[in-house]
Amino acid sequence: MIYLMIVPGLILYYIFHYVTMPGIMIAFQEFTTGGFKYWCGFENFDKLFGLRAFWDAFRNTWVFIGLDYVFIRPSPIIFALCLNEIRVMWFKKTVQTISTLPNFLTWVVIGGIFIQLLSKSSGYVNSIIEALGGERIYFFGLPELFPWLLTGMRIWKGVGYSSIIYLAALGGVDPELYEASVIDGASRIQQTWHITLPGIKNTIVVLLVMSFSGIMGGLFEPVFVLTDGNSLLDTTSKVLDVYIYETGIRQGKFSMSTTTGLFNSIISTVLMLSANFASKYLTEDGRTII
Amino acid sequence: MLKRSLGEKVFNVFNMLIMCVFTFIILIPVIFVLRNSLELSETATASLKLWPEDFSLVFYGMMLQDSAIYRPLLNSVIVTVVGTPLTLLINSLGAYTMSKRDLPGRNFFAYYMVIIPMLIGGGTIPGFLLIRQLGMIDTLWALIIPGLASGWNMTIIRNYYWSIPAELTESARIDGAPELTIFVKIILPLSKPVLSALGLMAGIGYWNLFYAAMIYIRDPRKWTFPVKMRETIIKNEGNDKLWEELMIGMGLDPTELLINQQGLGGAMMIVSMIPILMVYPFLQKHFAGGIMVGSVKG
Repeated sequence: MIYLMIVPGLILYYIFHYVTMPGIMIAFQEFTTGGFKYWCGFENFDKLFGLRAFWDAFRNTWVFIGLDYVFIRPSPIIFALCLNEIRVMWFKKTVQTISTLPNFLTWVVIGGIFIQLLSKSSGYVNSIIEALGGERIYFFGLPELFPWLLTGMRIWKGVGYSSIIYLAALGGVDPELYEASVIDGASRIQQTWHITLPGIKNTIVVLLVMSFSGIMGGLFEPVFVLTDGNSLLDTTSKVLDVYIYETGIRQGKFSMSTTTGLFNSIISTVLMLSANFASKYLTEDGRTII
Repeated sequence: MLKRSLGEKVFNVFNMLIMCVFTFIILIPVIFVLRNSLELSETATASLKLWPEDFSLVFYGMMLQDSAIYRPLLNSVIVTVVGTPLTLLINSLGAYTMSKRDLPGRNFFAYYMVIIPMLIGGGTIPGFLLIRQLGMIDTLWALIIPGLASGWNMTIIRNYYWSIPAELTESARIDGAPELTIFVKIILPLSKPVLSALGLMAGIGYWNLFYAAMIYIRDPRKWTFPVKMRETIIKNEGNDKLWEELMIGMGLDPTELLINQQGLGGAMMIVSMIPILMVYPFLQKHFAGGIMVGSVKG
């Protein structure tokens, strides 16, 4: 009886995760919209690595990953540190309530908000620029600007929500440490550096290691919503996720799409396992995270 | 309490100021879109005012009249209303099996539903081929069923079950009550916090569903609301001919007034936000409980 209760879950997992698993072999097959043709070994990989479009998407993906780790992931830590210093409770709560909300909106809404906000003819930002005497800018026509715009939007969406976990960790830091440090004459900056940050180091390391499993993903929705149909941004915006969708679903090149997907997941798995291995040098107890 | 120095006071004021600016950066874009959705005239959109000059609810009316818009909206409602209870049912049931510590072979479940699927997955195309084989292309089932079971959510619910004191179920067990009765009568009522938190998250996930609809749905009548919304935001702007037709359809004179082409997209975004704003207070209650924080931590 007790086993029966999990059966629906097991069946669904079998169908939607295990039946599709051998499908990864499509990467080693000539497989068209008509179905399986023949086995071709690593030919698909050879073909893929010879494509300019693939390497462009590869490079663009890594630009976004770089921006992610330099700007987006540290932002909730900084936000939580600032918010944690605020002693006026109603103010703290209001800021938190408002900043957490965008996380629950779909990228379609977030993309739409910024498309309207940054629109050349009627966007609010351009209205301000014009009021200040500047020229109206076509923000979504400048490929070199796009990675920065998207980085800003991703921070806008996620900073409040991601800071919740850091705020919880900050709440766990022993207040006596702060009192002792004040008696020793420590400044605010010194407190942050020597007490607060070490106090939440474990949380930071755990989240950092976990983040590598999804490192190559999460870009489809924002990039697609903002750029599909706008070829002006192709040079900097085409990422591997979008490439997988376009070659596979739009053009029906099933083999190439699956090959790209496999390539993608090999990279993220290797990265996560190495990060997990490296994490034992960062945690206090010298053990790995997973 | 320790005395604050002057430097600290300056820091505090400065910090609050930055937080104020930040809050406005979050709010203003949303208010701007709300204004766009209520502004009829195109010429007024390029102003610095955050309230409409030519107030009109015409774009909200358009959503109700145009079946190409309200049908996707209805689809999203259906997917959310059907998907959310089903996912809670399947995962809370499965979690109960997982919560039995002395069950032979219970480690298998974690490998089967969490670890292996995390390491190996078929990807987009095999998923698409499967849905096609099942005949679910262009049906709402393709959006609901594949994500119903989640080993991750089961684990979170299981952890919650573990926090329920064993004494509460023991007496029922001694009386010979079947497991299903214990589950329905004792465990489920006590699990309201975790189930409502996960239910809200799942509901928002279904409401916002976009990628799966882009892959599995080709028929515009079966689109979800976000797919239609994206199309409207991108395609309608600058499409003067389409707007002329729409205006004539609404009984407005296109030569007299330049209609705000962003209004419809804006109204759709506001409508999409309303359910999320409505459940937001309940959602927020669970942040403090640490349920979702725990779910991030694993």
